[in-house]
Amino acid sequence: MKHRIHELNALEQLSSGDTFIHRLHPMAKLLSAVFFIITVISHDRYALMQLIPYVFYPTLLMALSETPYSMLLKRFMVAFPFCFFAGMSNLIFVPAPYGVISFFTIIFRTYLCVMAVLLLVSTTPFFEIANSLRFLKIPNIFIVIFEMTYRYICVLLEEVHSMYIAYSLRSAGAKGIKMRDMGSFAGQLLLRSFDRADRIYNAMKCRGYALHILPQNGRNFMLKDFIFFAVVCFFCIWFRFKGI
Amino acid sequence: MLKLQNVTVIYPDKTKAIDNLSFTLNAGENVALLGDNGAGKTSLLLAIAGVLELAEGTIEIDDMQLSKKTLNEFRKRVGLVFQNPDDQLFMPFIYDDIAFGCRNFGMPEEQIEARVEETLSQLNISHLRNRSSLKLSCGEKRMAAIATVLAMNPSILMFDEPTAYLDQKARRLLVDTLKNLQHEKIIATHDIAFATEVCDRMVILKNGRVENSAAPNS
Repeated sequence: MKHRIHELNALEQLSSGDTFIHRLHPMAKLLSAVFFIITVISHDRYALMQLIPYVFYPTLLMALSETPYSMLLKRFMVAFPFCFFAGMSNLIFVPAPYGVISFFTIIFRTYLCVMAVLLLVSTTPFFEIANSLRFLKIPNIFIVIFEMTYRYICVLLEEVHSMYIAYSLRSAGAKGIKMRDMGSFAGQLLLRSFDRADRIYNAMKCRGYALHILPQNGRNFMLKDFIFFAVVCFFCIWFRFKGI
Repeated sequence: MLKLQNVTVIYPDKTKAIDNLSFTLNAGENVALLGDNGAGKTSLLLAIAGVLELAEGTIEIDDMQLSKKTLNEFRKRVGLVFQNPDDQLFMPFIYDDIAFGCRNFGMPEEQIEARVEETLSQLNISHLRNRSSLKLSCGEKRMAAIATVLAMNPSILMFDEPTAYLDQKARRLLVDTLKNLQHEKIIATHDIAFATEVCDRMVILKNGRVENSAAPNS
């Protein structure tokens, strides 16, 4: 469990790197990622071949930001079952060969979108993404939910970890949690996590965290940020309407 | 100077955590809050930090009264170090945890960096800068938690059970560190030896009221 918590943090730890991509303005990276995802999604469900050129974006970003591919791939595998089962219905209900093409298109499209988001997270500190979203006037409630979920996932995992150790030490070598104990385990986990989350939130408030405050970023949108955004947009539009 | 007048805090289940309590922290003073479990020590600290709402009474720092309008300014001046450092360290790196408060108060990034470095070296924990709190010992976590508050440059520091989870060596280090900090301090603790060493005055709480107040050796 501790290993999982470290893994979860590992991606965000990459965001403190010092490469060209890391130094770009967070808004440029966020808007580029959003534009890229919208363009990828806008393609037809059978446009498998047209999607291939879009690999340029994750590949280039990965290389420039020195992000290890294995780490991203591992996280993509979490999303993989969802797109796999979503694509399965195409294999069943859409006649061949269109069903097969549509199946691979869904998986490839998911791969591209997930990679774009993972690369954004691994090259941009979390608070900068939240700040950029606030600047774009995204409703604050969504950003707060996003922030809290992100922070509390680790809290939840830590609680599971300590409860599970306490449980297993008194469970006479039984593997896992017995079904009859599952209800009280889950209930206690919820209450403990809630309590802990409350204390963390208090600690955040004591250090000036307020839901409506927009802290200064301290960075200006520079020419290189604009060029990066423009290049990504240009290629996305080119691939979308012209192809290779 | 911190001044509490007739402060009452009532929890939603109608429990009176603080009952008509008046208390003054004079300039340059270090005060220990002593008392049994449930005496109201933590509640008092949370009330001063503006986390718990007052049912009655007023809290003032240098003539600025705690209210919704002044809450942010108040929190800038009062730093609270929680009992469990894990509650205070929630960012991927210690650097980000220390910078968290400064960022929320809108400090420019260059100043934040300077402030963080200064705080780290003040507490002799520069080596923790790029570490994750998940990999620290309890003593290191305690120091990092103090740094998160110290970086905001508050005039009053409050500690909730600072010696909890610490071994003798870490406890010694903490005593030396607190003695070196020139801030006014309020320390809620059960550790009387620690309080005697660090504080100028002891305030004993019972059922949310001040039972007694005296210098450690009197």
